[in-house]
Amino acid sequence: MRAEWLLVSVIFLGACGTTPKPVDPPRLKAALEAESDGAKRYQRGDYVVAGRRFADAMRQFAGIDDSIGSTRNRIHLARTHLALGRAEAALELLGAASDGATGDIDVLLLRSQALLALMRRSEAEKVLVAAEQSCAAKCPQLPSLKILQARAALADGRAAEAQALAGTAIKLLGDKDQAPETANAWRLTAAARLAAGDATGALASAQAALDIDRRLALPEKIAHDWLLIGNAHRYAMRDQVPGAAGEAAAAYSRALDVAHAAGLAEIATLAKQALQDVGAGKIPAK
Amino acid sequence: MSLLTQYDADARSVRRVTRRFLIIAILVTLALVVAIFVRQGLLRQTVSFSFVADSAQDIAKGQAVRIAGFRVGSVTEVNLRDDGSVAVSLEVDAGNARFVTHDARIELRKEGLVGSPTLEIVPGPDKTRLASAQARLAFSRADGLGALANQVRDEFIPILRDIKAITGALADPQKGLPGTLAQIRASSEALNVLLANGNRQVDGIGGTAVRVLGKAEEDLKHLGQMLETANQRLPGMLDRTQQVLDHVEKITAEAETSVPPVLRDGSAIAADVREIVSGAKQTWPISSMVDAPGPSTLKPDSDPRGEAGRAR
Repeated sequence: MRAEWLLVSVIFLGACGTTPKPVDPPRLKAALEAESDGAKRYQRGDYVVAGRRFADAMRQFAGIDDSIGSTRNRIHLARTHLALGRAEAALELLGAASDGATGDIDVLLLRSQALLALMRRSEAEKVLVAAEQSCAAKCPQLPSLKILQARAALADGRAAEAQALAGTAIKLLGDKDQAPETANAWRLTAAARLAAGDATGALASAQAALDIDRRLALPEKIAHDWLLIGNAHRYAMRDQVPGAAGEAAAAYSRALDVAHAAGLAEIATLAKQALQDVGAGKIPAK
Repeated sequence: MSLLTQYDADARSVRRVTRRFLIIAILVTLALVVAIFVRQGLLRQTVSFSFVADSAQDIAKGQAVRIAGFRVGSVTEVNLRDDGSVAVSLEVDAGNARFVTHDARIELRKEGLVGSPTLEIVPGPDKTRLASAQARLAFSRADGLGALANQVRDEFIPILRDIKAITGALADPQKGLPGTLAQIRASSEALNVLLANGNRQVDGIGGTAVRVLGKAEEDLKHLGQMLETANQRLPGMLDRTQQVLDHVEKITAEAETSVPPVLRDGSAIAADVREIVSGAKQTWPISSMVDAPGPSTLKPDSDPRGEAGRAR
């Protein structure tokens, strides 16, 4: 009992000793709290609820005529849509956030990301050119820009260019605390090397991506990394590397396990198909 | 001498002050005791009632007794009887005893189905007669989540049985779909043979044609019988399907009334908690210790779904 009284007294004395802080208006505070809650959920991978909270925050900021807060949450929501695989919805939101040609670099990068997900390569390239012009000298978003340029190049069949751009991104990310982007750059390097026929290099890069994604506990990316590792081993089967088929099957099985456990139906189908191909002795053509 | 007189006067004064102090202290103590008695309800007039329950689960001494959600009394005693049942006594404020009709019943309810249990006195339809003091009232337990689950299970079991019976009837090799299909197949084969024969013998119509027509007539009659059989069986099947649909409709209607309150309650509780927490955060002195969150930034991730490494 004494301890409780003592604690209460300390709290009151402490509060009395401090200068009263300027308090945010309740509506602004509620909007900021919704945004903060959404950001926490996004980091935890709870994208569905995060999206709801960002949408709430966006409405609340719009309701108090805070266009900066509203746009910021619109961008957060678009990012969440992209994480949920709803590229069209993201694009729609981003269209309202800027005019697309001269908008904020974050918006341009997200637009290009959505367009790449929708396989609209030429439009994505145009947006990336605009983004490059907006990113003066060494803007903080430069590594992300390089990764997206590498994605566009790889999607267009320019494997060497993709590999070079992803390599630049890895160098730029070297001293930064941006693990998800570093893993993305490694995954892209693996895919580019694989497209160029370098199975050994691809295997090392995919393994580097997997190590980071495992640390970040991102199931979808981990499953994709295992698929890439499986593909690299399958390419090694062409050079008759002993045990490559077994290694490929083991990697695809890991991808399948992760996909099943995380409820990723699309990746599970890919892994099953790949396992069947390995079982049937199918080797990718040179 | 004057010194002694002065001393006596001082002593009298001290005695007077002490006496006054003691009287005031006693009065204050008495006032405090009375206040405590009033606060504890020891001085209020109450009416006692009782009821018998099969179990003391969720019933405890001191538990609130409510009428229309208002606390009007409490449980005073819970005893195990010789026959294994539980005798529960409760007291209701005399002012509120006017709501306790002779046919009133006591219901054990849970706030929001999963909250703390309370006893609710539900007045009966006959408002002309009130329950007498010490009256024994009827008791029942409101359905909890477990009871609802059991109810849903009880509703589902007959449906599953019906589905099983229907699928069994359909799968019956003799009387079900396979049998009917086999008969149709046999008839169509017979008709095919008949047509083939007809084509072959088209030149020599005459007596043969008459026989063929006779055979065709027989087959058509057979087909007619089969269609009649199907016609007889279909209404039965449709009836059973209708019964199943009726069951489903009934459950849906019940779920419509029982499930939303559960969800509403859950959401209301969550909203209450959020409101309490946010209220506490805005209250001095806690408000001066809790920082309002600033604008958030998300870590850049240009490939949140790992699509860049997708197998091509």
